[in-house]
Amino acid sequence: MRDGTREQAMSHITLETLPDYARQVLAMAEGAAAGYSVTRDVRLPRLDMAVHLTPGPFADAIGRGLVPAGGDRQASGQCRIFIAHPGIDGVAAPAKWGEAQFAPHAFASRLADAGLRGSYFHDLDFWQVYDPERRVGAQLMRSADGFPPWEPGAPLRAFLHWDYAARGMRLAHAGTLGIGGKGILLAGAGGAGKSGTVVAGLLNGLDSVGDDYVLIDRTDEGVRAYPLFSTLKQDPEGFERLGLRQRLKSYGPLNWQGKHPFHIDDVAPRPLPASLDIVALVVPHIGGGGTSSVMPLSRKDAMIALAPSGIAQMPGEREGGFRFFSDLTRHLPCYRLALGTRPEEIAATVSGFLTRGSA
Amino acid sequence: MRAADVYAVANKDIVFESFDGEAVVLDLASGKYFGFSDAGSRIWQALSSGVAAPALVGLSAGTATIGLAELESFIAQLIDFGLLAAAPDAPAQPLPGGLLAELAASREPLKVDVHDDLADLIMVDPIHEVEEPLGWPAVKQAL
Repeated sequence: MRDGTREQAMSHITLETLPDYARQVLAMAEGAAAGYSVTRDVRLPRLDMAVHLTPGPFADAIGRGLVPAGGDRQASGQCRIFIAHPGIDGVAAPAKWGEAQFAPHAFASRLADAGLRGSYFHDLDFWQVYDPERRVGAQLMRSADGFPPWEPGAPLRAFLHWDYAARGMRLAHAGTLGIGGKGILLAGAGGAGKSGTVVAGLLNGLDSVGDDYVLIDRTDEGVRAYPLFSTLKQDPEGFERLGLRQRLKSYGPLNWQGKHPFHIDDVAPRPLPASLDIVALVVPHIGGGGTSSVMPLSRKDAMIALAPSGIAQMPGEREGGFRFFSDLTRHLPCYRLALGTRPEEIAATVSGFLTRGSA
Repeated sequence: MRAADVYAVANKDIVFESFDGEAVVLDLASGKYFGFSDAGSRIWQALSSGVAAPALVGLSAGTATIGLAELESFIAQLIDFGLLAAAPDAPAQPLPGGLLAELAASREPLKVDVHDDLADLIMVDPIHEVEEPLGWPAVKQAL
């Protein structure tokens, strides 16, 4: 193929050209190493990550949005991520997806067959590509701030997902609450009351290792949840109901979801635990009654509450996610938490549940 | 009975797990989930492992008996959902051990629920928008 023709073909990516383009993005981003003036060394549970980028909002988001690992962490090597855009010497503008049908599973499968992982967001021609064997990733954007609005809330989420998944761990879309090192995983679709429950617990003395996404490690010893991201969110109604306007010293304007973002440290009663020993999977729902209650829930219903969003929101690795969450659901006792109306009562119910050892 | 007596899982993108006897099926290609009742799970288990459909007619499911029309309707639903496909050349398999007792102990009728809130909606056209409550882009089909 003549160079011009190849360039033309690569400007509109198809499933056929996808692996070549993904490798090209990786090589280009890695090859422009001299152009990155900032390196963020991120220490996460069992993972050290070096992120090479330029100053700006994405670098700020990494600085604010990730929770440094604590405790007796053991990293298993380092992965390197390059945050690239055409403002860096040697980096070309991102290609567009062509006119052909785009199906996320086919996209991910095509890359997986080539030993790669990746995702693409059409509106911004935002590419993320990862080579799990070399543990090198590239994020290619149109400009330094050309990332989707959800990215600062959970920066590098896709890369973390791919790297941890390659090593048998998993990012779960779930909240957590705990006390004395023991904790519950709160699962459910948006609007089920997950985030409000986490904040209610934190404001009333419970611990948490995260709300939206947490790292889950399932071993022979049990299930542990680790913090990765520090951002919590509340819609204006929850923000008022939980008294956050009075309680928080500072908070951001409404984000792209119409929610107030704030940081877990702003409401946590004490420093975040390095991890929680997860003893139950709990599915909250708005109860409609005045008091909270905890009732057994079928594993099937718990699985359907836990898995879909965790799999849909993480590009690729679908079958691995399905198997992982199935195993997790079979291992943990499952409950439904009918939420009362008062935050302190909800927290007391969770605290009592954990303290009694109901799980 | 329908044209085919023996069926198989429709394709390799259909994966499933069982939880205390209740099946959850995921279509990896579409992102749709399917939750089966206890009796539905047993019948799914039997059909997807190659048990001939006529062998299931007349079996006890809880306090009821599986009728031909009920089974045909259930199979049609599974085919419509893309979970099951006719396998006319496949040899019929015997009923799995324990199935009769498990089916007799079931409490719910044959049923499968679709959970497609988070399924991929981008199968036709790359025009899409962000589904804000999800915190992640759900790509919508162009109208």
